[in-house]
Amino acid sequence: MLIIKEERMFRIIAYILLICGVVITLIPFIYMISASFKSQIYTFEYPPRLIPRDPTLENYIKVLGKDLFGRNFLNSLFVATATTISTIFISSLMAYAFSRMRFPGKEVFFYILLLGMMIPPVMLIIPQFVIAKNLHLLDSLWGLIVVYVSITLSMQTFLLRSFFETIPRELEEAVLVDGGTRWVIFRKIILPLSKPGLAVVAIFTFLYAWDEFPWAHVAIKEASRRTLPVAIALFQSQYLTRWGLLFAATTVASIPVIIVFVIFQRYFIQGLITSGLK
Amino acid sequence: MEVKNKILDKSFLKKILSSKGAYLLLLPGMGLFFTFILFPLIYSLRMSFYKWNIVDNAASKFVGFSNYVRVINDPIFIRAALNTIVYALITVPGQILFALIVAILVDQKIKGRTFFRVAYYIPVISSWVIVTFLFEYLFGSQAGLVNFILKDILHLVDNKIVWLANPILVMIPLNLLGIWKGVGWSAIIILAALQNIPPDLYEAAVIDGVGIWHKITKITLPLLRPTLVFLVVVLTIGGFNVYISGLLMTKGGNPLNLSHFILTLMYKKTFTYLDFGYGSAISYLLAAFIFMVSVIQIKLLRRKVEY
Amino acid sequence: MKRLIIFLIVIMMITGMTFITGCKKEAAVEEVTEEAPVEEEAAEEEEAVVEKITVTYWHTMGDAEEVALNKVIEIFEEQYPNIKIEPTRMAYDDFKPALLTGIAGGVVPDTARLDIIWVPELAEMGALVALDEEMEGFDEIIASTYPGPTSTNFWKGHYYGLPQNTNTQILVWNKQMFEEAGLSGPPETIDEFVEDAAVLSNPDEEIYGYAMGGTYFWAPASIFYAMGGEVTDSGITTATGYINGEKSVAAYQVLVDMYRDGSLSPLLLGGGGIGGFEGLATGKYAMIIEGPWAQPILNSDYPDFEVNFALVPRGPDVTTSSVVGGENVVIFEGSQNKDEAMVWAKFLLSEESQLTMGETGAIPTLSTVQGNERLPEYYDVFMEQLKTAKARVPHPKWAEMDNAINNAYQYMLRDEKTVKQALDDAAEEINGLIIEE
Repeated sequence: MLIIKEERMFRIIAYILLICGVVITLIPFIYMISASFKSQIYTFEYPPRLIPRDPTLENYIKVLGKDLFGRNFLNSLFVATATTISTIFISSLMAYAFSRMRFPGKEVFFYILLLGMMIPPVMLIIPQFVIAKNLHLLDSLWGLIVVYVSITLSMQTFLLRSFFETIPRELEEAVLVDGGTRWVIFRKIILPLSKPGLAVVAIFTFLYAWDEFPWAHVAIKEASRRTLPVAIALFQSQYLTRWGLLFAATTVASIPVIIVFVIFQRYFIQGLITSGLK
Repeated sequence: MEVKNKILDKSFLKKILSSKGAYLLLLPGMGLFFTFILFPLIYSLRMSFYKWNIVDNAASKFVGFSNYVRVINDPIFIRAALNTIVYALITVPGQILFALIVAILVDQKIKGRTFFRVAYYIPVISSWVIVTFLFEYLFGSQAGLVNFILKDILHLVDNKIVWLANPILVMIPLNLLGIWKGVGWSAIIILAALQNIPPDLYEAAVIDGVGIWHKITKITLPLLRPTLVFLVVVLTIGGFNVYISGLLMTKGGNPLNLSHFILTLMYKKTFTYLDFGYGSAISYLLAAFIFMVSVIQIKLLRRKVEY
Repeated sequence: MKRLIIFLIVIMMITGMTFITGCKKEAAVEEVTEEAPVEEEAAEEEEAVVEKITVTYWHTMGDAEEVALNKVIEIFEEQYPNIKIEPTRMAYDDFKPALLTGIAGGVVPDTARLDIIWVPELAEMGALVALDEEMEGFDEIIASTYPGPTSTNFWKGHYYGLPQNTNTQILVWNKQMFEEAGLSGPPETIDEFVEDAAVLSNPDEEIYGYAMGGTYFWAPASIFYAMGGEVTDSGITTATGYINGEKSVAAYQVLVDMYRDGSLSPLLLGGGGIGGFEGLATGKYAMIIEGPWAQPILNSDYPDFEVNFALVPRGPDVTTSSVVGGENVVIFEGSQNKDEAMVWAKFLLSEESQLTMGETGAIPTLSTVQGNERLPEYYDVFMEQLKTAKARVPHPKWAEMDNAINNAYQYMLRDEKTVKQALDDAAEEINGLIIEE
């Protein structure tokens, strides 16, 4: 009885804490959405109001009506999706090798890969540009994908490797003993059990590719091939920032990322290993 | 002796040949990595030894280590390094602590789990540009919410605090922003890791009659160890790489170049002052430092997990 | 094991396809770009008669200006049917890094519209074409442009660009606040300016007579130059006696005193808060000093506010002055189409182009169009001011000099150094920068 009561209490406290946390977490975002419904004059009113005095849809209309916004949106969607799929493939292969196989130079390769995670991306833009140019990857969405995958590979591989490490090897040994191949192990044990890990990679890779700006700005100049973050940056001009438009555009831009998250977080399911054991 | 060497060579070769599977797996990823990360890295290293001329690379003047020497002796850099280290020291534990709390809480069987997960994820998906601006607004001296609360509601202060113009105070919104934005990210990773903890362990604990606190400290935390190690390493790297928020909020280290982070200084030197070699040197010093710290962290914190 | 290998081959093929499609797409692109000059030239020769030459033009124009630009392009392409202009709008905040990355990678536009400040440093790097040497008719063109803006293109004996549009900053004042305070009109001398600002201020209510957006040199520059301040000598050999000369010190002293007296808004120290335009239009600031963009911005965001301009108040020597800003059009050394690029650049300096762009807030640099009825009326005050406005130091290290002066002002405002001390230090720093050349 004591245990149950304690659990209940814990749940109630948990609930309250979470709600407080959510409020703090979401305030800036809520403010942004609220500001997206305000006309320019009210953006900086004092005292700050969460509920707009004169709510208006003009920002959204202007944003969605802006020629090429839809095109830029689709470009980003394409790039982010392709990057995510490619990254999941490539990094899971690498993570598996690092986690389950032994080969000369393993440590070396691993640390080199780790290095990639530590490098401030801004430092590499100029040389990357030179290389991309020589490989004819500029001004092309495919070029973006290739570079994005390269950049995020270190992190995602490292992440997946950590996940693979938490899967007990007894399962694989059982398969090997039964005469199964590594491929079977990969397909039937590692992949299904790593669903949460893979989901994380999917979420983060999509987010990275969707939001990336410095490289996209430099690599793609053709307006119809531009991605969303660059299009949104153009709402800021030299002397003035149209905050309402910026916020409205950002809100719209947030939707796909949230959708991807909602879809993949389903995979955070408990008990995958135990079901695997059975 | 000769024979011994020969044998060693043979078995080494054999090892490589038998590992061809592993190498195949690594091939596509490493190929991309070498092309777009490693080569640029080396290129950048080369740049750091020159007074680099981007128009005519061949005309660059070789200066050896002088860029590095200048960097280390620059008081602005020292201050930037200090700010960056403090930032990492505050935001890394901050993020992990709150992420643990959030992940464990959200993992409980409560209604609206999806809602909470999405809510905590929102800061993660927001662009740095937007959230930096939002925090600038919140901490703005004249119309900011924080001052409004501190002064007009809680009456803790008499005058509005000018957060952003003070080289030390500005670190507060910057650090808070770093924590705020990162909690969701870590929480997701911890949440995913939590799923791999067999519920039987918890059930066994319940049968043994232990409380929640015990469950958390004796079961959850130890089993999360690899994940937490991962987070410490990654978040530290991220912390040292703090950049856009600093650039926008301090507008280039203002006032008086006291509020720079290492990367904002690098940005200024490279793109505003066009000193490419110097900028490269800064990046390299940072990268080397991060590498050292990460290796130390991994070696120190790593240990196998027992069931 | 076999299956694994097959799987991997598939993955590699997918990755490989990515590369190939990327390449193919590039080859298929018709437009002439910088990436494969040899191939392009061959193609050009074959189709020289039919194929158009594309001239790329990077800019950071706002929405309204972009519309005008497209009109100009239309007119141009009608006149020159064999040249096609391809404009690319870049994000303002990231323009310079993008440009530099492009230069580093050998991917430069044929032409671009740049902030005047960047011309000396890009010229020093060797990235720009010396137009006085290469462009036919260059001398005729600059004979009819305002000298101030033109001078921003000059470095080490050559001109590296053409002044495309210019601007300066003048006084924008809130008539209502002035009337309520019993003042008849805007101040005409610096002394009146200081007095009026004091009268109009009420720091407790956060109302200030004057507000500046920051401490970077551009903000106080108008008052600085109006009071006869100078940064360096005209030959750019030293800053001693100039940035820390009597008049410069006096100028900054005024700006520090106003802050201490509560007539200058603390906005300039940063920290966020009510910006210049909002403040002016909502009765928080009585005066700001801004450029011609003030009119369209104020009109669109605060349609009820009456915009009033006035010349920058005169300094003690009965001079009025202000600071010159604007953009120059340049041609890059890496361009493959320099001749056509020059045709475009020249066209931008034609009356038609200057007037069309002028209608959207970009003040023309062509003196021959001054007073033209197509230009908005409020330009008159600006163009009047332009006659006496001064350009900032056209030197590759200007950004660092600006930083030194910025810091100096900060020290003064924070009471960490006296005005003279701060400017002496700045002089030393600037001298160091000049010598590095």
